[in-house]
Amino acid sequence: MADWGRTTLELLVQELQAPVRLDESFDRRVMVRVRRLYAERRPRGVAGWIAAAVSVTRRPAYAAALAAGVVAVVTVGMFRSRPQVAAGGAPIPVQFVLVAPEASSVAVVGDFNNWGLGDTALVAENHNGVWSVSAPVPAGVHRYAFLVNGKQWVADPTAPRAAGDDFGQPSSALVVEASVE
Amino acid sequence: MRSRTARGFVTLALVAAAFGSVEAQDPRIGNRLDAPTRKALTALVDSAKAQGIPVEPLMEKVYQGLAMGADGARIVMAVRSLTVEMANAQRELGTVATTDELKAAASAVHAGVPPVELGKMKKQSGLRRSLTLPFTVLADIVSRGVPVQTAVNAIRSLVGAGARDRDISEFQRNVQVDVEKGAPPAAAAETRAKGAVTTTPAARPEKREQE
Repeated sequence: MADWGRTTLELLVQELQAPVRLDESFDRRVMVRVRRLYAERRPRGVAGWIAAAVSVTRRPAYAAALAAGVVAVVTVGMFRSRPQVAAGGAPIPVQFVLVAPEASSVAVVGDFNNWGLGDTALVAENHNGVWSVSAPVPAGVHRYAFLVNGKQWVADPTAPRAAGDDFGQPSSALVVEASVE
Repeated sequence: MRSRTARGFVTLALVAAAFGSVEAQDPRIGNRLDAPTRKALTALVDSAKAQGIPVEPLMEKVYQGLAMGADGARIVMAVRSLTVEMANAQRELGTVATTDELKAAASAVHAGVPPVELGKMKKQSGLRRSLTLPFTVLADIVSRGVPVQTAVNAIRSLVGAGARDRDISEFQRNVQVDVEKGAPPAAAAETRAKGAVTTTPAARPEKREQE
């Protein structure tokens, strides 16, 4: 447990120590946001007029602190949001192809369709021995295999092998990158 | 955050449905698992959750075992093996590793890569670089006969040089073709890694500046 914490801490420190590059418009954009927030939150009426008189622009330390806060929120947001994107991006169409001239049927099953349980197998179409099927696959790493003639397990010869306890059958690995929004 | 929360609920529902009471059985599993198997799997899942290990990959392994006609004992053995491999990987990668990275890392561990090497890569690459694909390729080339240390050095050099996932995928395809044509796996990996590193953005500063 202590090792996990230390590794995580080292990575966080490494990330936080990395120089942050800001484009030239950053200051301007932060100040626009600050002014907008200030305008939205300014109380109305007499109290608002009094509050407005104490303009935040006269206290640059507030702006600096707010800017630092924005940077911190953005930074923390990057840490928090990135795994979500990797773990659950929108499904991306993937084409599976197997050349099997002698086969009478080919299906694709894997992590992305619960290995065909509940009739979720992807049934490939035969094009003169070239079997193919396309389906949307969620972002992430998936283990899969072709099921030929309903009984023979075949790995995808064009994909990386999946290492693991696969019950003595071959399987392949598919990494689907999350789409950039 | 919403998608993660939703996914968490779905996972919990699946686990509960799969291993919970008989009346709440997952229709995909149905009565295919006997009571002792369900009990053993429930214990493994509980243990994984207690260690902070994601349980989705364990469920996927159960589905795979059922699809491939494995019996209950065999499925329990595979799930236990995966749990141990993911725990070993997570110990080195830290809690910042995503589920996909852990799945890929577990494959690499199964192929024979020491978990400590995976941890070094994670530290080298930082938080922003996902190592899902590099770990997947690492597991692949080791399973094709590339010696573990040669494979680790090749992937570390690529990641360290800023190679993108597409570069590393191309490296994997080249090594696969070379080995299938009869090249010694170690030589194929070393040669292809050298070539791939020279095409990374880090090796072409003039192009990076233009971009």
